[in-house]
Amino acid sequence: MNPETTEIIKLQNLDKTYRNGNISVAALKKVNITINYGEFVAIMGASGSGKSTLMNILGCLDRPTGGDYFLEGIDIKEKTDDQLSFIRNQKIGFVFQSFNLIPRTSAFKNVELPMIYGKIPARDRKDRAVALLESVGLGDRYEHMPNELSGGQKQRVAIARALANEPTIILADEPTGNLDSVSSIEILEIFTKLNRDNGNTVIIVTHEPDIAKCTDRTITFKDGIVVEDARREEAV
Amino acid sequence: MLFLENIKLALSAIRANKMRSFLTMLGIIIGISSVITITSIGASAQAMINKQFESLEGGYMVLMINWRNTESIDYYADLFSWDDIEALKNRFPSYIRYIELMNLGNSSTTTKVGRLEATLSLYGAGADYNKFDKSIQIIHGRMINQGDVDAGRENIVIDVRAARQLFNKENVVGATLPATIYGDEKDLTIVGVYETPPSIFSGLMVETSYTCYVPISLMLGSDARSAYIEIFASDKDDPIVQAEAFLSYITKVKNKPADFYMYQSADEQISQVNTVLGTLSIALGAIAAISLLVGGIGIMNIMLVSVTERTREIGIRKSLGARTKDILTQFLIEAMILSSIGGIIGMALGMSLAGLGMSAFGIGVVIQPIVIVVTVIFSAGVGMFFGIFPARKAAKLDPIEALRYE
Repeated sequence: MNPETTEIIKLQNLDKTYRNGNISVAALKKVNITINYGEFVAIMGASGSGKSTLMNILGCLDRPTGGDYFLEGIDIKEKTDDQLSFIRNQKIGFVFQSFNLIPRTSAFKNVELPMIYGKIPARDRKDRAVALLESVGLGDRYEHMPNELSGGQKQRVAIARALANEPTIILADEPTGNLDSVSSIEILEIFTKLNRDNGNTVIIVTHEPDIAKCTDRTITFKDGIVVEDARREEAV
Repeated sequence: MLFLENIKLALSAIRANKMRSFLTMLGIIIGISSVITITSIGASAQAMINKQFESLEGGYMVLMINWRNTESIDYYADLFSWDDIEALKNRFPSYIRYIELMNLGNSSTTTKVGRLEATLSLYGAGADYNKFDKSIQIIHGRMINQGDVDAGRENIVIDVRAARQLFNKENVVGATLPATIYGDEKDLTIVGVYETPPSIFSGLMVETSYTCYVPISLMLGSDARSAYIEIFASDKDDPIVQAEAFLSYITKVKNKPADFYMYQSADEQISQVNTVLGTLSIALGAIAAISLLVGGIGIMNIMLVSVTERTREIGIRKSLGARTKDILTQFLIEAMILSSIGGIIGMALGMSLAGLGMSAFGIGVVIQPIVIVVTVIFSAGVGMFFGIFPARKAAKLDPIEALRYE
């Protein structure tokens, strides 16, 4: 972490245009956002507003077509695909709406995976995967396959996996979209705890105002443009 | 580290789709097993034939009239005589270990002992011929010796099977055996009994007569002529070089044109047989290798299906930090393991088939360890070759597209 700056994410005049033959669609237009270390942010908007596109760019899964994206001061557009893989592996933890656990692979193995790609020695991987699963309340579910777990449990495995390499940023794309209300609350509590106690920067993409209310800052998108960027003053 | 993980991953993927994995391997199994069967049978046959010739001492050759170039010959002038034998012996004393005229004509004779009868094929031998042809193993008495040859004694060494047939016992040394040698009826004395170790030919051929040895001098007489000279030359020098030397010398002695005589060398014949067998093995092996190609295409096909099926998994892995190389290795190792397992099964199957085939002839299979190593490496290579395209396809997937894939 660079002590000189408090900015973890900085978007400057960011554009993303999809081209399909002669038709081009602008998903993001001149977006300027700065997110500081330790923030808890909700990105809201209707479907097609560009919030998923932003999520992909923030997660280094996709590249902007214009403007700049600095992640911890690193200029993303200068990085190769494999360098982006490394950044995803080390700095970003993904949590998806559809869990995206690897099928026929135990909860333990799923959590271990990012550490394998991060070249962490086997012994350390095991200890850490066990600790992570315990911390999300799945200490008795190591060997369970994803299809043997409930939705809430799957999402908790996914969160444990996202935390495997101790990333600074947690990017969650509609994390409660496939969950019942009880599980949703549990998952949101985990995110809140990660932000408050662990110091992670948490960014949740959602279209549910209830979820957004739990965060400290809500950035609202419409047609690829930021229409609102509101901080809740009573928080922090 | 990642390599080991990839192997585990590949094995679990193969286990997860047992039936499909087996069907995919089947092509490789059939390919490898047919290559192994054919090459093992070829190698075994080659080894057996070499072993057959091994009973002969090295440097075996026959000098002979080149019948192809000869329209008419003068019996006394052109055929070989005892004088020619002496001339060769004196010219090449340190190279020639055994040299005698050789009778190849019809020398079979029917003999009767009491009411028992057998057909003998008489072979004129020089002294201690069994030292050069190891298939003659004396079990009773002795072989034709120098004294027999020098004096032309009426002695005979017989096959143990002839002894059993004629006398109902094996040790018949000292017994008398009536025989006709080129028209002359003689009462021969049995001085030795021999047996022959079993060979491939004994299993394949039905013998109607028994080979028995008499002194060559008795067989041919002192004024004999023969179209053949049998020689065991030095086994420490090149047989072909020696044969050429003997040939050119005898041609000069007999004052004949260059192509009048010729030689046949055992070593040359072995190498000819080996060349034929080798070529045959390669040709059949090449045909079998085509099934390996088909097997490889099967692997490629199933890997492509697997990549498509697991598109989403690939997307997840990429989002978690898998590099292009990681995905590539994962699928490549899976293809290689799939075809290596097929290769190992195919090898086991091929060896059993070869063993079964050869045991029908009563011959042991020659399993070359190098074949095992080459098979595993080669089948892994097939997997790699046909796996690289699907693996590259997987590695190049766009993470976002892959994550969205349903």
